Amino acid sequence: MFERRLYLHVDWLLLGAVYLLCAIGVVMIYSASGGSRLYLTQLAAIGLGTVALLVCLGIDYRSLADRSHVIYGFFILLLVYVLIFGVVRGGGRRWISLPLFNLQPSEFMKAALALVLAQLFGDSRHRAPNARDLAVGGALTALPLVLIARQPDLGTAATLVPVLAAVAFVAGMRLKLAGILLAVAVVAAPVVWSVALQDYQRGRILTFLNPSRDPLGAGYQQIQARITVGAGGLWGKGFMQGTQGQQGFLPVAHNDFIFSVLAEEHGFIGVLAVLGLYAFVVLRTIETARLARDRLGALLVVGVLASFTFQVFYNVSMSAGLAPVKGLTLPLMSYGGSSVIATLAGVGLILNVRMRRFTN
Amino acid sequence: MAELPLLDRRKTAARLTALWVAVIAAFCALAVAFWYFQVIENATYVRMAENNHLRKLSLRAPRGVLFDRDGELLVENRDAFTISILREHITDLDRTIQRLSAAAGVGEQQVRETIRRHRGEPSYRPIVVIDDATLSQVSAVLARRLDHELPGVVVESVPTRSYPAVGLGAHVLGYVGEVGEAQMEADGLRSGSVVGQSGVEKAYNKLLMGQDGERRVMVNSVGREITTLPGEVPAFEGRRVKLTIDYALQRAAEEAFHALGYEGAAAILDPRSGEVLALVSLPAYDPNDFASGIDRATWNRLNTDRLRPLQNRAIQGRYSPGSTFKAVVAVAALEEGVITPDFTVTCRGGATFFGRFFQCHLKGGHGRMDLRHAIEKSCNTYFYTIGNMVGVDRIHKWAAALGLAGRTGIDLPNESDSLVPSTAWKKARTGEKWYAGETISVSIGQGQVSVTPMALASLYAAVANGGIHYPPRLLKAVNDGGGWKEAEPPAPQGVRLKPETVAALHDGLWMVVNGAGTGGRARVPGRDVSGKTGTAQVISLQGAKQAAGRTEADLRDHGWFAFFAPRDNPEIAGVIFAEHGEHGSSAAPIARHVLETYFAKKAGIKPYPVFTPPAVPAAAVAVPPAPPARAAGR
Repeated sequence: MFERRLYLHVDWLLLGAVYLLCAIGVVMIYSASGGSRLYLTQLAAIGLGTVALLVCLGIDYRSLADRSHVIYGFFILLLVYVLIFGVVRGGGRRWISLPLFNLQPSEFMKAALALVLAQLFGDSRHRAPNARDLAVGGALTALPLVLIARQPDLGTAATLVPVLAAVAFVAGMRLKLAGILLAVAVVAAPVVWSVALQDYQRGRILTFLNPSRDPLGAGYQQIQARITVGAGGLWGKGFMQGTQGQQGFLPVAHNDFIFSVLAEEHGFIGVLAVLGLYAFVVLRTIETARLARDRLGALLVVGVLASFTFQVFYNVSMSAGLAPVKGLTLPLMSYGGSSVIATLAGVGLILNVRMRRFTN
Repeated sequence: MAELPLLDRRKTAARLTALWVAVIAAFCALAVAFWYFQVIENATYVRMAENNHLRKLSLRAPRGVLFDRDGELLVENRDAFTISILREHITDLDRTIQRLSAAAGVGEQQVRETIRRHRGEPSYRPIVVIDDATLSQVSAVLARRLDHELPGVVVESVPTRSYPAVGLGAHVLGYVGEVGEAQMEADGLRSGSVVGQSGVEKAYNKLLMGQDGERRVMVNSVGREITTLPGEVPAFEGRRVKLTIDYALQRAAEEAFHALGYEGAAAILDPRSGEVLALVSLPAYDPNDFASGIDRATWNRLNTDRLRPLQNRAIQGRYSPGSTFKAVVAVAALEEGVITPDFTVTCRGGATFFGRFFQCHLKGGHGRMDLRHAIEKSCNTYFYTIGNMVGVDRIHKWAAALGLAGRTGIDLPNESDSLVPSTAWKKARTGEKWYAGETISVSIGQGQVSVTPMALASLYAAVANGGIHYPPRLLKAVNDGGGWKEAEPPAPQGVRLKPETVAALHDGLWMVVNGAGTGGRARVPGRDVSGKTGTAQVISLQGAKQAAGRTEADLRDHGWFAFFAPRDNPEIAGVIFAEHGEHGSSAAPIARHVLETYFAKKAGIKPYPVFTPPAVPAAAVAVPPAPPARAAGR
């Protein structure tokens, strides 16, 4: 499976940056959970994620793309299964109970969608995707989106939209078309607001706009996140010295708010370092897309990158109280098995494309 | 799959470059945002974070413990729980109030009212909304706090005043309450501080208060304490204070009052030092009701009660002294050289002065009497005569010299002035001149004379002591941790009376109790009890109120008994005031019980005597109560 020649073309710099982020994540989880054993679980997930990465790296992405409809269909079935038999935790039915851990299929859906969309647009005979292609892509995106939104998990569902957008954009979708879609979205927003959204969802958005509206609920978290970040200062309070994260003022600190803990304990310097690492990963991946041998590879890389980048931006913004609180993890760093495994699998796909840029 | 056409590749590259630029811009924007929050606004958020988890908890200092003169415990402290609201961390006060009221089962309105009263204070200061919470209230609140339902609600344990002998000596001890706004500013006290509001608690508040400490703790997001920071300022308990009160005498006096069913007052002193051995005012209240904030209903009840339980009758009630005042007239006449003890007057049941007949209480008259016998028989005619000879100003002079006029200076707040009139007083008061006829009623303690029981006790202590007296005081000793330190004795006051004055008065007062006088019920064999009964008219003062639906019992006269013992070298003196007791002889048994207890205790005899009411009804023993002065000019 691994030819020596291919091995030479693995992007070791990207891989290094990715694992450095994982390592920082483990350290911050250790701190945020007050030295509990959670970090061991995270290490195990990274191990499993490495296996997934190797698998996604080993099989030629073109072979994977050929079977993308099967893979896509498989995860759609899993999402349906979750809706019916899933484990309920924290107000959402998101997990499939497995012997070792609970599997969250929605995390894997992102990569599966990137694969199927890359196949769709990369395979397209047209130079640029036309409205029909977009309609098909839109349908392929909408199906899992609705399934995930029903769990309900609006955050993860939302990460599927950037996948479609980025793939279509790079595939050469006409900007006029994009403009039209944007206009439709703007017009549709009030309708969605009043018809499609539940009361609690509307409440969340209102709370984001005015945190003191619900200071004990979501608004509280937003205020506390800002305090946590702001109190960090330039150099931070030091490892395990953060009072906000350590004393539970910040909820789910080891999970959704891991970046806030980092900002508090390691200050603006730590923030810059980690943001730099993420920027490196993202830019290096765009570079990979540029270098890709074919359209399919470029689009696959862009698709995987899109949900990753969206989540990084969203989570980091949320960590500073700049975005409504949503259960969106910070890829690679947040505690959470499925997230880590799925992200590393995605990294495997990216490396896959770059590694095989010279092969036929 | 075909290689990408060149044009297509170029377009893809352009779009990737656009993404590249967008990503860099977005990362830069995030970095700038973090720089703004973490570097520029850092100080603001550091303060907010500290407010989040640092709490200053006040450590309430227990008030000083009070003892009686023998170290018997009078007032101590117990631990009570308070439930407070810390507004700083509450953004929806309304919801917190609702939940807290529901959890603790108290009225929402009451909680709101409390918070409204304190709304001007800094929000980091806890506002006590439930004083002396029950254990079930505490556990209800704590349970909900763990569920994150009641952040900003604090449960604290605070030392609270406890008066083990419920109601005994209530007016001496007084009560405590939350500091008022005026006092808070004047004394630099913290809001919510507990201070003495009356009695010794108020008079010696500074000694008793102690010093609150402070503790800084770290709390987590639900307000639970995690660690205590170093630098705790410990609370210092208030000084321990020993009062001059003798618990045994205090109890004896109150028991006797209760046994006879009288309200009233008593003041018992050591004439040699002015130390107050017992001070009674009945009806009393229970100071425990005030210890952790009195509820509105009890407060209203105490304030609207017609019998005025909050008034300390011993120092605030003013009554006409009746015949007990004759001692002052006798002193004035003897000291001014107007008469000698052997001066005699013949009583024919009254006498005419300034064209008006003034009755004696014995219709047939007492016959010829000297001073000693006039005191013994309480002969009005004798005292009309010598009072008239001395004149009101000289009576006033000697009353003032012996401590009966004005205030005694007892170390209790809100003492009333006792009044013994003079020509100057009347001129200043009404602008009218004094009529000599008024002096006649003053001579037997009627008319304008009105004194507090404490002032009268002070007078009899002075008479017992030969004229020298001391301002009555309750502070015996203070212990600030380094052993008991006796309080500074007060400077002696008054004038040394001539020996024959003292001898004549002591003889006459001794005969009142041990001879054919009206104080026979105060006799204690072998103790040479000396004293004087008196009657304070009620109807003359309150005649107008008769129509206001008062019962007959309310209109009965008050009975006085002023005394000291033993006759030679007296060591105890005092006054019993039996409200609506009709005559002084009804107050005398109370004095007897106090004296018996005093002497039994002194001799080390235990148990102390039990009060036995007089075998014969009061009316049968008392001199026929044809109230003499009722006929006298007013």
